[in-house]
Amino acid sequence: MDFSALNEALAFKSYDKVADICDTLMFQAASEGVSYQEDWPYAIHLIGHIYVNDINSARFLWKKIPLAVKESQPEVSAAWKIGQRLWIKDYASVHEAIREFIWSPQCQGIMAAFSEMYTKKMFELLQSAYSTISIQDTALFLGMSEEDATNYVVQHGWTVDPASRMLTVKKQAVVTEQKLDHSKLQRLTEYVFHLEH
Amino acid sequence: MESEDYASGAVIGEEEIYANGRDESDPQRHRPIISSEQLDIEAYAALYTGRTKTMRLLFIADKCGIPSMELEALRMAYEEIKKGEDTQLFREIIGKINGRLGPNYALDNAWADAVDRRAESRKEKLENELNAYRTNLIKESIRMGYNDFGDFFYAHGRLGEAFKNYIRTRDYCTTSKHISHMCLNAILVSIEMGQFTHVTSYVGKAEQAVDGLDPVTIAKLRCAAGLSHLEGKKYKLAARKFLEVGPELGNNYTEIIAPQDVATYGSLCALASFDRSELKSKVIDNTNFRNFLELVPEIRELINDFYTSHYASCLEYLGNLKTNLLLDIHLHEHVETLYEQIRNKALIQYTLPFVSVDLNMMANAFNTSVTGLEKELEALITNDQIQARIDSHNKILYARHADQRNGTFQRALQTGNEFDRELRSMLLRANLIKHDYNLKGPRKY
Amino acid sequence: MNLNMNSVESLVAQIQGLSGNIGELTQLRNYLKQCDDLLRTESTRLAPLLTELDPSVHSLGYLYILEACTSATVSKDQANELVLSVARFINVCAADQIRLAPEKFISICKRLKEQVVLLEDPMRGVAPLLTSIRKLQSSTEQLTTLHPDFLLLCLMSKCYKTGLSVLEDDVFEVDQPRDLFLYCYYGGMICIGQKKFRKALELLHNVVTAPMPIISAIAVEAFKKYILVSLIHLGQFATSFPKYTSSAAQRNLKNFSQSYLDLVNSYSTGKVSDVENYVQNNKDKFESDNNLGLVKQVVSSMYKRNIQRLTQTYLTLSLQDIANTVQLNSAKEAEMHVLQMIQEGDIYATINQKDGMVRFLEDPEQYKTCEMIERLDFSIQRIMMLSKKVTTMNEVMSCDPSYLGKVGRERQRFDYDDFDTVPSKFNL
Repeated sequence: MDFSALNEALAFKSYDKVADICDTLMFQAASEGVSYQEDWPYAIHLIGHIYVNDINSARFLWKKIPLAVKESQPEVSAAWKIGQRLWIKDYASVHEAIREFIWSPQCQGIMAAFSEMYTKKMFELLQSAYSTISIQDTALFLGMSEEDATNYVVQHGWTVDPASRMLTVKKQAVVTEQKLDHSKLQRLTEYVFHLEH
Repeated sequence: MESEDYASGAVIGEEEIYANGRDESDPQRHRPIISSEQLDIEAYAALYTGRTKTMRLLFIADKCGIPSMELEALRMAYEEIKKGEDTQLFREIIGKINGRLGPNYALDNAWADAVDRRAESRKEKLENELNAYRTNLIKESIRMGYNDFGDFFYAHGRLGEAFKNYIRTRDYCTTSKHISHMCLNAILVSIEMGQFTHVTSYVGKAEQAVDGLDPVTIAKLRCAAGLSHLEGKKYKLAARKFLEVGPELGNNYTEIIAPQDVATYGSLCALASFDRSELKSKVIDNTNFRNFLELVPEIRELINDFYTSHYASCLEYLGNLKTNLLLDIHLHEHVETLYEQIRNKALIQYTLPFVSVDLNMMANAFNTSVTGLEKELEALITNDQIQARIDSHNKILYARHADQRNGTFQRALQTGNEFDRELRSMLLRANLIKHDYNLKGPRKY
Repeated sequence: MNLNMNSVESLVAQIQGLSGNIGELTQLRNYLKQCDDLLRTESTRLAPLLTELDPSVHSLGYLYILEACTSATVSKDQANELVLSVARFINVCAADQIRLAPEKFISICKRLKEQVVLLEDPMRGVAPLLTSIRKLQSSTEQLTTLHPDFLLLCLMSKCYKTGLSVLEDDVFEVDQPRDLFLYCYYGGMICIGQKKFRKALELLHNVVTAPMPIISAIAVEAFKKYILVSLIHLGQFATSFPKYTSSAAQRNLKNFSQSYLDLVNSYSTGKVSDVENYVQNNKDKFESDNNLGLVKQVVSSMYKRNIQRLTQTYLTLSLQDIANTVQLNSAKEAEMHVLQMIQEGDIYATINQKDGMVRFLEDPEQYKTCEMIERLDFSIQRIMMLSKKVTTMNEVMSCDPSYLGKVGRERQRFDYDDFDTVPSKFNL
């Protein structure tokens, strides 16, 4: 099997391409009748799907993995554990699933990137969904100690009420592109003109 | 407690802020509310004649749930029935009384037998007469003969037979007066049988009369049509019919309905189904209907309260009247629905002029708890009857003014998506139909 | 015998000589057609000839010989070889050549599909079939008879995402109704697997409302799934069929899906516990239909639906009240549901943990961004494109002799207006 494309993607940190590369390679191997299951990089493949938030595909891949592989490669199960937590939307325990396994050198890079991205995503979710939230919950969602979590959010302008151990969320103003291409406006004008005449 | 505060005017300062922006200084509204007392059966029964009197008394006995009242109603029904010839119903009443009224109200077999014997010979006589008319082909006499038979069966409670015989007179009617007479008879029997489709159809037939009807008949037909719509839960139509009943009705239709009923049925249906302007023009400003309303002052008051947004008072009147309305043979089934609709109307009207409403004040005005009010409002908002949202945290209702521009964009995009989908699906179906035409064509791909 | 061998050799020569331009290829095709019988009888001895041909250059000839070679029954070992050789050919063949003999190409693809299923390795066929669909199609609007085979392999090998790639195309040209029925049904299942409920609904809708003289098992199964997806995605199911639905479907489909319609009734009460009970009592039925998973998604979608309803009514509401109203066990559970719904864009709200309240907000979309204008423009463009298609189709049909023949016979029965359903407003 030629994994150079995959290795290249990992080396260049193009983690969002990992899932597609793995899929393509797998189809290629399958159609050529190659027996690939034994040494397929399932863990990377699973994490690749998880990285692009395609939990459905991760789930179907997990179902395809031979039992022997699941049993002999703890990293594959560990990777799916993350997918499973995301599948049931148990946001906080994802961090735990990431932390509790010592990832192989091949997976470390993508896992670290995912972890960082996930923390950021969780922070954005909390920011959009809450007006006030307890320090305890914030720490759980961000996968940090209460102290680290408090520091992290305070940097983003949140405020702490030490008495109630509550954080007040600072909303981020959304900036959107308002400038309009003239040709678009022209076209819309033509539609209206057409409809009115 | 709340109503006492309310009546005493202790909260009038706040009321002025929250009640519906109308003139609050009217001292009249602080008169004590006269609660409707327990139904005076004797007075009530006196409003009616004929079989409906008995039937209404029996209905009261059946529904009131108060033993003393039940017995009183049964006693009066007993006395009423003995004036007539319906021994079947007589026996039924005896069964219901079940000896509870002493020996004076026991089964009077001698009387019943005598009535039955008389009925038998009367029936024979009528048969002979009718046969004679029929051999002689005297149209008018045949009509009268069938009519007599109808009356006879009706008096004996054999409604189906009565109906048939009244209908048979139809072929022998020669004037429009005859027709309307026939229709009124059919309607009378149909109402007691609960056959309201017949009622509607005979009202229609009667109204087709070419040379016009007399005002009394018109009034009667309006009542019958109103009852029929009421039965069919078409409250708006029912209201319109009752509101059109002319003063000529007077006490001319007591075998069916009393003028008091016209006022009550008409008002409640109107409150439940009319909007503000229709209520004003068709009820409050209706000089003709005002005469009917004078007969039931509480109903008149509650309509005025509703219109002037004194909902607590209005609802209190309604609450007090409820027990008695539930004893009405025609209204009984509709009381809950009508009350609910009236209440909803009141809630909707209360919120209409406001940008925000304090739920505590509103609950007060409707004599309910804030939690209960929230549930009521929730249902009305869900059904799109109130455009507002509840701030449950601060207990305030905020009017919601949908952004037209955004709404239009949203709808346009949605319509576009639907159209897109429908067109694609249509093209596919067309393709399949085309295949059907070319069934024998070879497979291409 | 000799003569035959000679013919076979001359065949190779012909193929090598006539694979240049389209004129040569047409000539070659006619020649090959005449050789069909010869190829059949000689099928076992043809394999060596393939080595003399280049599948990417001599695709048409190669296809004829390969098809003949693979038409015989094969053992398991041979099956492996067969799959490999067909897969390789599909990969390298020239699309314009194989389209000259689509029936042959379809035949080898179907053979491939059949063999990978027998080998219990459906994934082997996924990539080759996708490639063959693309090579066979003259445009992506064309539904080939290979579409359902491809989707079935995707389903069998759990490669749902790959299946989506062909489902994203707008399909308009259909040759065989059966192909469309299966394409929509399998496609619906793939979309369900990937939780693309909107697309699933559209595909299943096509099956249910397609013209059909009698109802088929596919239509019945599609209807059941259609009901369930409709509940999950729309929160309701309209029990009346659109008027263009075939009378066979209108008359019969509901009789075969009573348990599903009862589920709809139960769902419409909005009471989670009622629906749970109903599902529990009819578990076996749903399980035997292979729909239990989907039914469970229906149940959990109710929480979402009920919370969404509250947003229409309330500006603020306590988490506890939400939990009580939608039958969740605790305020915390309600909070998690609300959080999920915010994340997925189902509602706009902010949670106030301090007061245990949720504030529901209006959709912040102001329809002012460039992105929105582009979306509008895109939507208008699409509708114009579709309208043009309808007009063209209308014109083509009104010139179609077999259609005119039919309409001519039935003229008394139809008014011409019945056929004029084309919206005219969108033809720029």
